Amino acid sequence: MKTSFRKQISGWGFLSPALAVIGFIGIFPFVYVVWLSLYEYNVFSLKGWIFTGLGNYLKLILDARFLDSLYKSILFVGVTCGIQIPLGLAFAILLSQQFVGRGVFRTILALPLSMAPVAIGSMWVLITRPAVGPISYWLSTFGITYNISESSVQAFLTTVIMDVWHWTPFVTLTFLAGLTSIPPEPLEAARVDGANAWKTFRYVTFPLLKPIFATILFIRIMDTFRIYDEIWALTSGGPGTATRYVNISLVRTTLAQSDYGYGATMSVFLLYLTVALCTVLLKLISKVRKEYE
Amino acid sequence: MEWWEKAAEPYRGVTLKVIGQSTAPSIVLRDIAAPEFEKVTGIKVDFEVQPWEVEYEKFIRDVTGNTGIYDAAYIEQDAIYAFMQQKWLTDLTELMEKNPQITDPDLDVNDFTKFIEYFKDSNGHIFGFPFEAFLKMYIYRTDLFNDPEAKEAFKAEYGKDLKPADTWEEYEQNAKFFTEWGKKKGIELYGHTAQAKTGYPAVAYEIVESIWPAMGIYNWGINLEKWRATVENGGQVNSDKAKAALRWYVDMLKYAPPDVKTYTWDEESSSVAAGKVAQGLVYCENLAPLICNPEKSKVAGKVAVTKPPTTPEALADAKAGKGYIGYYDGASYSIPYCSKNKEAAWLFIQWVTRKGWDLEYTRLASRVVRKSTLESPEIKDMDIAQGGYFTAFKEYESLFSGAAPLPMHLVIIDIYMNWISKAVAGEATPEEALDGLAKEIDEAMVKLGY
Repeated sequence: MKTSFRKQISGWGFLSPALAVIGFIGIFPFVYVVWLSLYEYNVFSLKGWIFTGLGNYLKLILDARFLDSLYKSILFVGVTCGIQIPLGLAFAILLSQQFVGRGVFRTILALPLSMAPVAIGSMWVLITRPAVGPISYWLSTFGITYNISESSVQAFLTTVIMDVWHWTPFVTLTFLAGLTSIPPEPLEAARVDGANAWKTFRYVTFPLLKPIFATILFIRIMDTFRIYDEIWALTSGGPGTATRYVNISLVRTTLAQSDYGYGATMSVFLLYLTVALCTVLLKLISKVRKEYE
Repeated sequence: MEWWEKAAEPYRGVTLKVIGQSTAPSIVLRDIAAPEFEKVTGIKVDFEVQPWEVEYEKFIRDVTGNTGIYDAAYIEQDAIYAFMQQKWLTDLTELMEKNPQITDPDLDVNDFTKFIEYFKDSNGHIFGFPFEAFLKMYIYRTDLFNDPEAKEAFKAEYGKDLKPADTWEEYEQNAKFFTEWGKKKGIELYGHTAQAKTGYPAVAYEIVESIWPAMGIYNWGINLEKWRATVENGGQVNSDKAKAALRWYVDMLKYAPPDVKTYTWDEESSSVAAGKVAQGLVYCENLAPLICNPEKSKVAGKVAVTKPPTTPEALADAKAGKGYIGYYDGASYSIPYCSKNKEAAWLFIQWVTRKGWDLEYTRLASRVVRKSTLESPEIKDMDIAQGGYFTAFKEYESLFSGAAPLPMHLVIIDIYMNWISKAVAGEATPEEALDGLAKEIDEAMVKLGY
C-alpha cells in the first residue's frame, strides 16, 4: 500500500514540471481569454473594466459585421477546399505514374510549401498589381480588366487561387503517400477482372484512399479557416470588406481598436466553432477508418 | 562631445531598446545617429524599426503589461493625447528639472518650431521631443506645368492659364487635363494620386487629415465639447459638406493611376517619384530620400512644393486661427513610463534632437524641427534641391495644425477606415458611408465613456 502511494507521489512529482508548463502555456491563457470575454474592456476607455457576463456573446451573435466575415470565411474554406482536394488528387495520380521529368515536377510542385505565408502574400501583391504584375497584363490581352483593388469578385477569387497555389502541393504529396501505400493485390485483381482505369479508381483506389481523404479534408479545413497572413499582405481584407475574413476582423477588433473584451469573445467563439468542426470531422475520420478496417 | 562623454559616464555599457516606425527619419537615426551615439557615449542602442501598426501594437503591449522592454519609443503626434491620458509616457519637463547633470546645456527648447507645442500636456509639460516634422503639401511637376504645348492645350480647353492649383476646382481641372494629356501622348501619366488602399488606415487619415481640413471640416468632424460625430449631436461627420468632400475624393480616383486603391502613404509618394502623376498631395518626408533623390526618382529636379489647394472658407479659417488646412505631421521620441533606463534614454533623445545635428538630419530626411535650421544659410541649397519645400514650410507652417486632440484616436481610426473603405470600394455610397460612420462613432464614444 505504502509502496503504491509512494510510486504515485513520485509519478506525479516527475510529471509536475511538464504539467506546470502545460498549465502556464496552455490552460492559463485560455482561462484568461474566457475571463476577459466576460468584460467590456478597451485600453482607451474611460470606463475601465465593466463586467457584462454573456453580454459580449449576445452582441457577437447579432453583430452583422462579424457574421458577414464569418460567412466570407466559410465560403472561402468551401471554395478553396473544393478545388484543392480534387486538384491535389489529380496531381497525385499523375505523379504516381512513370514519366520523364517526374522528379523535377514533384520538386517544383513542392516549392510553395517551403515559403512563409506572408512571403506568399507579398509575392502575390507583385503578381497581381495592375501595371506591374503579369496577371493583369495577360488578362488585358483578352480584353479583361483585372484589378483586385477595384473588383470584390476578383479579389475573392484571387485569394482562393493564392491559397490553392500554396496548399495544393501539400494535398498532392499526402495523397501520393496514400497511393504508394495501397497494396498491389486489389489493383491486380481489378485488372484481371477486366476493370478499366476509371472503374479501378472508382471502386478500388478511391475507397482505399478514404482515410487519407478524410484526414486531408480535416487538416485543410482547419488551416484554411485560420488563414490570416497571406490575406493581410495581399488585400488587407479589401477592397472594402470583400476579403475581410474572420481572423482579419478578430485582429482588427483586438489590436487596432484595442477592444480586448470583445476581441476575446470573438476568439472564444471561434475556438468553440473550430472544436465543434474538429469533432465532426474526427468522427467522420474514425467512421471511415472503421469501414476501411 | 566632452559633455556627452561625461554625462553618459554612469550609463556606459547600458543597452537601450528603442522602437521606431519605418519612416525615412527613423531609418536615418537607426543607421547614422544611433551608431554615433554609441561611439561617443558607450551606451549601446538596440534600434528596432517596425511598420506603423506593428510599432503601436508592440508599444501598447509593453506599457499595458508594464514590461519595460522599450526605453524610448516613436510616438506619432496624433497618438500622443491617448498616451498622455493613459499616463504611459514619462514627463520630460520633470525629468529635466530633476536631472540637470544629464540635460544638455545647449538643448535650447525654445529653438524648436511650434511643432513641440503638440507634445505638451495642458500644464505645458513636454512628453516627447519631436525629431521628425513635415507637412503634407501639394507637389506638382514643373516640367509639365511649364511645357508650352501643355499650356497652350490647357488654355484652348479651359480658357485660362495652366498653373498649380490654389483651389479644389483648379486641382480637378488640372487632374482631368493631365490624365487626358497622358492618354493623348501615349505616356503613363495621371493627374492625381491618393493613398486610397481600402482596408488600411491610410485612406481614412487622408480624408480626416488632408481633404476635410482643406475643405473646412476640422477635428475629424467630431465636436470636441460633446465628443459626438453626428450632425444631430453637434458633429460634422455626416454633414452635407463632409459628404460632398468624400464624394469628391472618391470621384477623383478616376484621374489617378489604376492601382491607386493599393496605395498607402508610401506608394502615393512612389507614384510621384515614378513620374506617373502630374500633381498630388504627399508627405514631404519623402522628398529628400525618394522624390528628389536622382538615384531613385524620375522627377528629381522637376517638382515644386507649395500649400495644398483649399476652399476659400478653409483658407480664411486657417489664417484667422479658427481652422487649419492640413496636418502638421511628425513624431517624437518619448520614454515609456516603465522604461528601466530612463536617464540613458533621455540622453539618446537629446542626442537625436540636438541643434548640432539637425541641419545634417534635414539634408538626409527632409524633416525640420528647429528654427535655427530653417534660418541657416545652408538650407537654401536643400530648398532648391527639394522643390522649394523649406520656403513653403516657412511660409505656410502657421496654416497647418497638429492632430485633433482625440485621446481615443487609435480606436476610432479603425471605424473611420471601415466606412471610408466601403465608400472607396463602392460597397456604399459616400453618403451612406458617412451616415453609418457618424452613427458608429457616436456609439463608440458612449462605449468609451465620452
